[in-house]
Amino acid sequence: MHQSLASFVEILRSHNLRISPAETMDAARAAQALGYANRSRLRDGLCMTLAKTPDERATFLRCFDQFYNREVADFSSTASERENSPESTDAGAPGSQAGGAGDAQPGALQEAAQGDPRIAQLLQSTLMQALMNNDRNLLSLSISQASQRAGIAQIRIFTQKGQYSRRILAALGEEDLRAGIVTLERAQSPALDELRRYRDILREQVRDFVDAQYLLHAQGRNQRLVEDMLARTRLSNIEHAYLQRLEELVRRMAKKLAARYAPRRRRYNRGQLDMRRTLSRGVANDGLMFDLRWRRMRRERPQLFAICDVSGSVAPYAKFLLMFLYSLQDVLPKVRSFAFSNRLGEVTQLFNDYPVEQAIELANQLYGGATDYGAAFEDFARLALEDVRSGATVIILGDARNNHGDPKLEILQKIYRRANRVIWLNPESRNSWKTGDSEMLRYLSACHFSAECNNLRQLERVIEQILRNAR
Amino acid sequence: MHIEDYPQLASIETIQKGFESVGYICSESIATAVFLAFQLRKPVLVEGPPGVGKTELAKTTAHLLDAPLVRLQCYEGLDEGKALYEWKYSKQLLYTQVLKEKLGDLLHGANDLAESVERLHQFGDIFYSEEFLEPRPLLRAMRSERGAVLLIDEVDKSDYEFEALLLEILSDYQVSIPEIGTVKARTTPMVFLTSNNTRDISDALKRRCLHLYIPFPSVELEQRIVLARVPDVDARLREQLVAFVHGLRDMDLKKVPAISETIDWARSLLLLHADQLDEALVRATLNVLLKFEDDMRAAEAELPRLLAGNTD
Repeated sequence: MHQSLASFVEILRSHNLRISPAETMDAARAAQALGYANRSRLRDGLCMTLAKTPDERATFLRCFDQFYNREVADFSSTASERENSPESTDAGAPGSQAGGAGDAQPGALQEAAQGDPRIAQLLQSTLMQALMNNDRNLLSLSISQASQRAGIAQIRIFTQKGQYSRRILAALGEEDLRAGIVTLERAQSPALDELRRYRDILREQVRDFVDAQYLLHAQGRNQRLVEDMLARTRLSNIEHAYLQRLEELVRRMAKKLAARYAPRRRRYNRGQLDMRRTLSRGVANDGLMFDLRWRRMRRERPQLFAICDVSGSVAPYAKFLLMFLYSLQDVLPKVRSFAFSNRLGEVTQLFNDYPVEQAIELANQLYGGATDYGAAFEDFARLALEDVRSGATVIILGDARNNHGDPKLEILQKIYRRANRVIWLNPESRNSWKTGDSEMLRYLSACHFSAECNNLRQLERVIEQILRNAR
Repeated sequence: MHIEDYPQLASIETIQKGFESVGYICSESIATAVFLAFQLRKPVLVEGPPGVGKTELAKTTAHLLDAPLVRLQCYEGLDEGKALYEWKYSKQLLYTQVLKEKLGDLLHGANDLAESVERLHQFGDIFYSEEFLEPRPLLRAMRSERGAVLLIDEVDKSDYEFEALLLEILSDYQVSIPEIGTVKARTTPMVFLTSNNTRDISDALKRRCLHLYIPFPSVELEQRIVLARVPDVDARLREQLVAFVHGLRDMDLKKVPAISETIDWARSLLLLHADQLDEALVRATLNVLLKFEDDMRAAEAELPRLLAGNTD
């Protein structure tokens, strides 16, 4: 059982649960304390030790059901002659599709066995015993053992399913069964149909098992592969079908960044005297309290202003940038978001009130159009320049293509002087910054930091850098 | 704590029955968590919406074990001085004064500085000793002779720094006091941490805990809870009011009513001698269940539907 717990943990890890060895050990101890008899209890216990967030809980429950539900489907209705096992009457079990049970002669196989020692030997094998006696536990045990020998945990892509099924069947000794069928065919024995049916049942069970194992072992890993790829692709090239996945990814990224950005506290050097601390400092100095401590603390909560271009020229990116903005605002306490094209407006409230898709759509609708950075900066100055104080960070997401209009550099310079940092993230590559109607080089003079940013990985790296330096 | 000492915790069924006997009706997973916490000697991190009985769980456990409950309410700015231990500074100051006065006598007859220092070293250093130590909740729980139930309430309200402080206590049940050394728990306490998810708890802390999520109870469970807490309520009314509360929980409200509110409501209805729900009665008592003006308005608009669901 410890072995199987270890492989279960391995599977959970492949589904993005972070489980430490210590937690695995706790899970083993929990399983020991609870016993394996009561499934729901075991599930609860393992869940408590392994899954630590609601999301992880959901994943855990799904995996647990798949993993510990190895019990093979009931196939009794096809095992015609042995109807004596009590659970064999389960109606509608998948195994019953193998169908047409009644027409086999009872005991035909036994008769055939008497005629042929090879058949008799075949019937003595564990596999055939399990099939004939409708012993689901024994069959599932043999299948899982055979699959371990076949290395099922290595399955990665769905085209391997057939290959693994064959390997498992071979490990189970299906060969003998097939040989038996050939023998009976030659002898035109009445037991032929029955033996064939056993073979079909076996194949079906193995196929089901491999399907389940594929979901368990490969799905999580493949998902990670896709996510990895998504993070590296240019945002404008990502297809619509992946949007949902991307959203999740962006969210996770923003959350990770926010955790590192958690507000810190700093002591003020004034305010109310903290007698307790002052006294304790003073003890070392013979009770002389010259090292004063204060009670008031300051919470460091740097402001963040994010301004996002949603005009036509950056349309493919705007969606992702807004999505990122949305997530960021969700996890960071003090973010104000703005969207603009030829005019600028605050979308903070919009993001708070609507779910992400709707919010992005509305932002696009309200502020989309042809770009005019000059007008946008004027709007920003009117709306928020007063609030930009030292300690504030201003992030501008846009391509700086101003359609040859007035760039209003002086406003950005004003922001530059007030804010702690002005950061410009441009989806275009650095080489094209000096071409055409790009005002990027001019704007650069009023930025503390600028970077090219057109895929998620770059975005993450840049934001991380910003947050690190914001401390 | 050992199993022999606490037969109340011997199995999941005993725990469930024991809790029930003191009026705390719980699901099997809650009992499992308590059982595992006891068996594995691990703290339990309890999460869930407010008012589902997270704090109550710790109180009930203490009650069941007849062990002292040590409660530490977390808040922003909580530090070790308030949570763990503190020196009795005023006494320490007095001690230095006394020492100064006595110093002359003690060192009388010493010929030179070296000898004085030598003599000084012969006295035990009691300045930083247990006598001057003021234990705060965490240390109190560790020093409790017969074990204690330690409740660290709303740990998500504390700062990250405080979480780090908890790590040593929760994994090894010991506290390091730089001036004295390590204080080990005499008897391992049962530890419950509760969190309302106002922020993420650090992975390090989560790793050390069993993780119990208490959701809102099922209709059946909640009826049993009401029965246990407000036994005088008529059976039909009980069914109705629990169904009504569940209807409210399905709505999109700012704050959905919790178990504690269901119980309060049942009590109020009892005081009003109601034996069944009708619109006027609900309208008059809705403020027991809902705490926001907007929520009340939303619920009042839906009243006929919510009550109709009752009679089905």
